Amino acid sequence: MSPPIDESELDAMLRRAGLALTPDQVREILPGAAIVQGMIARVNAPLPREAEPALTFDVEQGGNRG
Amino acid sequence: MTEILTIAEAGRRIAARELSPVELATSHLERIRRIDPALNAFLLVTEDRALADARAAEARQMAGTLRGPLDGIPIAHKDIYNTAGIRTTAHSRLLEHNVPDRDAHTVKKWAGAGTVMLGKLATHEFAFGGPSFDVPWPPARNPWNREHFTAGSSSGTGAAVAAGLILGGTGSDTGGSIRGPAALCGIAGIKPTYGLSSRVGILPLAFSLDHAGPMAWTAEDCGLLLQGMAGHDPEDPASIDRPLPDFTAELGRGVKGLRIGVIRHFFETDHRASDATRAGIETALDFFRKEGAEVRDIALSPAADYHAVGYLLMISEAFTLHAPWLRERFADYGELFRDRVCLAATVSGPDILQATRRRRVLCREMAEAMADLDIVVSASQPGEAPRVDSVPKWANMEKPSFTMPFNVTGFPAISVCTGFGTGGLPVAMQLAGKPFTEPTLLRAAHAYETAMPWRGKRPALVG
Repeated sequence: MSPPIDESELDAMLRRAGLALTPDQVREILPGAAIVQGMIARVNAPLPREAEPALTFDVEQGGNRG
Repeated sequence: MTEILTIAEAGRRIAARELSPVELATSHLERIRRIDPALNAFLLVTEDRALADARAAEARQMAGTLRGPLDGIPIAHKDIYNTAGIRTTAHSRLLEHNVPDRDAHTVKKWAGAGTVMLGKLATHEFAFGGPSFDVPWPPARNPWNREHFTAGSSSGTGAAVAAGLILGGTGSDTGGSIRGPAALCGIAGIKPTYGLSSRVGILPLAFSLDHAGPMAWTAEDCGLLLQGMAGHDPEDPASIDRPLPDFTAELGRGVKGLRIGVIRHFFETDHRASDATRAGIETALDFFRKEGAEVRDIALSPAADYHAVGYLLMISEAFTLHAPWLRERFADYGELFRDRVCLAATVSGPDILQATRRRRVLCREMAEAMADLDIVVSASQPGEAPRVDSVPKWANMEKPSFTMPFNVTGFPAISVCTGFGTGGLPVAMQLAGKPFTEPTLLRAAHAYETAMPWRGKRPALVG
């Protein structure tokens, strides 16, 4: 499970992505960031080593090719 | 004329020279003038274009050269579909004055089939951000109760079809944007198999999840519209080059012999749907059993697994498209779009790769679960539409979506109205199938719709 994200960490991540938000704006999206952290934990649950990424999505080949 | 026809019926009457395309278009334009100020379904009404299209259709009718069942049918396009010479805004200040010089592939195909274009329809900002009150146009309202939400993002199409302003329209679906508004507005909407209809000329939200599809009053009408929309487009790298079936060929065959799986845990435990939604699904399952289908429960990974994969990919793909504007023009976006999409900044490269690995696992899981099934059933939405002014900013993230699993896998899925809840607003079920089984989905949806009374009831404001 990822550690909860705080305002300063979120602000740093946004700045690294080139987004300069005001403190109020950062505070406003903090609850959404917490939900995204939960999703990140879910997709990072262990997978079989042979599980390959669906790099280019193609429904004809069982959902992926690549 | 005051009667609202289905596309199938209007097409039959036009072919029999019992209905004038010009009179049909005129009656819809009048209905738009009368009703749309209360709904905000249209961002732009293209009256001159509509009348020109209708006159051309009528000339073909008189000459005996009609192009098929869509000739003379009044439609409109979600405002992320490019229309040559006609403003296409994505319901956003950023494209407020954008006039494309080329039609989307699907817009061109419908025009070639003889449809009559009435205008451009409301969407959530860039097909993701609504319902927003801080963008240049207000959000569409639900015709069953205008204080309530339409769902999105094909919000204008859902409202306009339900209110009879158009007989059909385009939608796009990245996580449920066709099936959600279809469900909450009480109409039908199909997200086809990924790659079946071209995305070229439709403003993208997330490349690997975006689907173009039709919305209409009935499943049969969706089939007719899909026939005019689907097909290979060499300009779209995801487009599939294979012969198209006749999407309405199986209608009328009933459900006898179909093998139907129920993903019960999605709507009973993973995200418990309302009593009315669950009751509607049970009634439909009883109907399918009684008509000779084999029905059994199946289990997949939790809906939240599909939702997490889809949502992380969606915001990350959207961020790659919008990053330059988000950096330069953050305040020009509506708050909901920008706040949701900028969360992609918290998703790392390895997280995305893990999401794509898990996506492949989930695609295989669903394909295996459906190997000996024709259709799976779930909910479309958790219940009736909430009030439009009380939709939480994180509503589409907090609980898993019923529709996202079929964007993650690319399998086709249709939303079908199953009646009304305690608030008098529509509820719905979702039918999904294996890739390229749209004719079977439409067959089951049509069998259900024609056996139930719901297609006979329109919103009171239609008059």
